[in-house]
Amino acid sequence: MSAVAESLPFPVPRSRRRWIPYGRIGVALACFALWQFGSYWMGKEWLPGPVATFARIWDLALSAQLFRDSLVTFSEAAAGMILGGVGGAALPFLLRLSPRLLKASEPFLSAAFGVPKLALAPLFILWLGIGIMTKIVFVASIVFFLMFYNGMAGILSVDPRLVAMARVAGASQWQVTRHIVWNTTVPFLFAGLKIALPRAISGAVVGEFIAADSGLGWYINNSRSLNDTVGVLAGVIVVTILVIVVNAVLQRSQARSLAWRPVSRDMVV
Amino acid sequence: MSSPAAALEVRRLSKRFPPRPGQSESPWVLSDLSFCVGDSEFLTIVGPSGSGKTTLLNILSQVDGASGGEMLFRGESINLASAALNPGLNCHIGYVTQDDNLLPWQTLIDNVTFPLKLQGRLNQESMARMQGLLKAVNLIGFDHYYPHELSGGMRKRASLIRTLAYDPPIILMDEPFGAVDAQTRTQLQQDLLRLWNLGRKTIVFVTHDIGEAIALGDRVLVLSRSPARVIYEHHVAIPRPRDLSNFYKLEGFGDMYETVRKELL
Repeated sequence: MSAVAESLPFPVPRSRRRWIPYGRIGVALACFALWQFGSYWMGKEWLPGPVATFARIWDLALSAQLFRDSLVTFSEAAAGMILGGVGGAALPFLLRLSPRLLKASEPFLSAAFGVPKLALAPLFILWLGIGIMTKIVFVASIVFFLMFYNGMAGILSVDPRLVAMARVAGASQWQVTRHIVWNTTVPFLFAGLKIALPRAISGAVVGEFIAADSGLGWYINNSRSLNDTVGVLAGVIVVTILVIVVNAVLQRSQARSLAWRPVSRDMVV
Repeated sequence: MSSPAAALEVRRLSKRFPPRPGQSESPWVLSDLSFCVGDSEFLTIVGPSGSGKTTLLNILSQVDGASGGEMLFRGESINLASAALNPGLNCHIGYVTQDDNLLPWQTLIDNVTFPLKLQGRLNQESMARMQGLLKAVNLIGFDHYYPHELSGGMRKRASLIRTLAYDPPIILMDEPFGAVDAQTRTQLQQDLLRLWNLGRKTIVFVTHDIGEAIALGDRVLVLSRSPARVIYEHHVAIPRPRDLSNFYKLEGFGDMYETVRKELL
């Protein structure tokens, strides 16, 4: 919490920063109140209130089903993230070595980026069945481009003067990549991860909507088919918590590896 | 202009950049430029701004290619117009650029030892030498500061000793003190002369500042307006060590300054 106040992009007097946490709690309470009010207004069978929803999450946690479904969704997202993320982040480094290849591949990459991945999901199911592999490939296909375009932006922002300096000082092509290009690109990759990680999780959930027998997406969709609005909402809340936790971990590792930067230029949300 | 003790000889250098779209031919930046530098000589080159001084050093360091010309180093001819450039000539030619070009993600000590690391020469001996250099330019105690936490003058000194640390026999310098205030500048010039005195390297120092060129150099070359050629040469007879805090009072400085100023007009 205090890390947030430390990294505000504009100066806020310390005495007034103290109020930030209280303000947040106030806003959170207002949101719950609005939710509860909406539940009364629409009827609780359409929009269950926060109490019923969190009671369901509590039950799920006790029955270990929450853990199992979260783990399934998380594993799909993580595996897809690694498969697509590493590929997407590595490709710009390879393309940098050949400007001609980069130029030649441009239209194909844009075309591939333009394909709506959601529309491909049925094809993935035909190819890979309804198991975990389908979701991994689905997530990877989403994440790949997010990481690729951010990585590419990093590569393009490499300062040619730093490269020249390193070359004169005896750097090999590999050393230039390792020391100059990599370090320039890392902040861009973090920016990519910030967008890609939540997308990976929602990608896995959407994959589970379409065809699955476990996972949070399956739980949400299954509750829907039983007209169990409490279950739908509880599932959504758990997915949200999963995203928040993953983001917090990312935030930590980013702060650590980009400690050299003059001021934190990153949104903490 | 050739002499047997030359550390580096530059022959008939010419350069023009590729034409811009819609332009049939771009103008020559350098044309038929030749000179040589003696071993452990401090050569300064002064030219009007925009006369291609940076282009000249970019070519000599092989960061950029020439349109024609060669240089002679240790009896070997190097074609500067070749497509395959060898930046820094296997660490024989160091280059201190106008910008300090420190790596923003590395601390001062990692920055100044960066070339040694690249060359696999970071050991106790070179580290001890590094400490000596840091001390000589008053950077002791700032080892773990990032470049953005250092003043402009400190960064200049860091970029200077980064090149000195790996001991290239020839060092090119492109107005390294252009962007600092007058006082810091004098201090940096003083530091440079002291460091040069310790190691007696061959230095090619490019500047648009006539006073600096005379105060630092053994010899001053004057470049013409674009396309640049060497039009005048002066041997600076001012004895060393020179006190740079008021170099305009040095014997013979005034006359030479006036001469060069007129040549540059």
